[in-house]
Amino acid sequence: MDDHEILLELNKVFAGVLDDPALVLRRDTTADDVEGWDSLSHIQLVVAVEKHFGIRFLSAEIQSWRTVGDMADAVAAGLEDRGRR
Amino acid sequence: MSFKSLEFLIFFPLTTALYFLLPHRFRWGLLLAASCFFYLFFVPAYILILFAMIAVDYFAAIVMENLAGRKRTACLAVSLAMTLGILFAFKYFNFFNDNIGAAARFLGWNYGIGSLKLLLPLGLSFHTFQSMSYVIEVYRRNQNPERNFGLYALYVMFYPQLVAGPIERPQHLLPQFSERHYFEYERAVGGLRRMVWGFFKKIVIADRLALFVTGVYNAPADVPSVILVLATVFFAVQVYCDFSGYADIALGAAQVMGFRLRENFMKPFSAQGVAEFWRRWHISLTSWLHDYLYVPLALHRRRWGTWGIISAVMLTWTLIGFWHGANWTYVVFGLLHGAAVSGEVLAAKLVKKVRTTVSSALCVPAGILVTFGFFCFTLVFFRAPDIRTAWYVLSRLAGALERAVGLLLRGDLAALQPLAVPPENSLFTLPGIAAAALITVLMIASHAGKSDTRATLESWPAWARWTGYAALVLGIFLFGSFESSGFIYFQF
Repeated sequence: MDDHEILLELNKVFAGVLDDPALVLRRDTTADDVEGWDSLSHIQLVVAVEKHFGIRFLSAEIQSWRTVGDMADAVAAGLEDRGRR
Repeated sequence: MSFKSLEFLIFFPLTTALYFLLPHRFRWGLLLAASCFFYLFFVPAYILILFAMIAVDYFAAIVMENLAGRKRTACLAVSLAMTLGILFAFKYFNFFNDNIGAAARFLGWNYGIGSLKLLLPLGLSFHTFQSMSYVIEVYRRNQNPERNFGLYALYVMFYPQLVAGPIERPQHLLPQFSERHYFEYERAVGGLRRMVWGFFKKIVIADRLALFVTGVYNAPADVPSVILVLATVFFAVQVYCDFSGYADIALGAAQVMGFRLRENFMKPFSAQGVAEFWRRWHISLTSWLHDYLYVPLALHRRRWGTWGIISAVMLTWTLIGFWHGANWTYVVFGLLHGAAVSGEVLAAKLVKKVRTTVSSALCVPAGILVTFGFFCFTLVFFRAPDIRTAWYVLSRLAGALERAVGLLLRGDLAALQPLAVPPENSLFTLPGIAAAALITVLMIASHAGKSDTRATLESWPAWARWTGYAALVLGIFLFGSFESSGFIYFQF
């Protein structure tokens, strides 16, 4: 799965959790840009993303994310790691 | 030394003048000495506790730098245990001891540990949290350990925010002590204006309202129910003006010298929900607990799904309540807010649906009023000295509401009048209550509005702006309450 596909999949997960079908994510999107993406929904998003891609992030890794791009990179790394195993 | 004291009116200009007169390399020493002097006005011996805590965290951070894995975590644990131990001994020991003693007596056991007779060091909860923030950030490798003991001590003791915050983070404040600050007229005048604004909020609004609120809450049985309602609503405005007034003075004083402290309030009465309220109220505490407790806990428990989030929310807000003081009233205050935030998490999709279908002209004011009303309701626990008094006040409020609704349903408007218009007595006069009610309404309206009152005043032409600030200063002298009254948050 390439970066663009990961971003599209993330968009689907976010739209479902935040109940916003019109949502469009970009790599530089931050929580401030998305209505309803706060610290409470953030955890729900993390759980949904982990479930969707079948991967598990480290807590420290999650806390270092600043943009959707950071999250997408972590997904790519998680998928690659899973592929190796 | 309190900001609201004659000593501070001498201390502040003197320290600021010396700060700009001294060469850069001596300035941190001056600020540290001034901050120690500022603190010594409270309980002098307690500065030793502060320095013990500073020393432990200073060395812990340096030791931690070259450690990894479990040893690094152990070093963090020792540092946190020492800091929390100090906080526990001074603030919470008697609470736990009394409750264990009461439980033991109830069970018929012998329990002989006596209470500690210690005065709570002022602002202990603020500087312990600021210290812990430093050690945690070093542990997370977001901050390098500070080698200069004096600079680290100044980070904990910087006088504008020493006793009531904002609770700073090392990445934000520590580098500022090494910056070279030059005197800038515009910045200094801006800081002084902010200080005047803060003094006005504290001395004219908060301390005037305090006379009424304290009178009512000291003898709630002696006043009509409508007065209890008004006192509780006015207390919301009092505590806001008291605490945000302190923040304005602290940020203004720091700004005059060229320092930027974190904003602690962002129009909290415009919040349309309890979670949003806490993103606008005492922001430095909420963000501290968010970053160091809520997020790690919620992430750790994320496999539990929504209930993992709810459990983290409940624990976080209970601790926010308990942070304020060792009393069950604060625990209930925190639990109520935690329950409200949890409710918002569970009903998020429903709330969103309502917001998209109902006009915002109705939704926004309704959200603001419900949130403000909820905050006032929980403040009964915050203000009452014990649960029994809080319960008494709430039962009176419920009784009055039931009676008012009953009379309204029967259309007996004449009988409603004594409920709506209280009799005058020495504690309250109708013009006084009307003025306080007007301030409350104006404050909520100004928070709900798009513009910021202080920013609006800043945008006026020079003559109007200076007239405005002269009126504020005159207002402080004409209407201010100068009886000794500390800041509410000093006790925390």
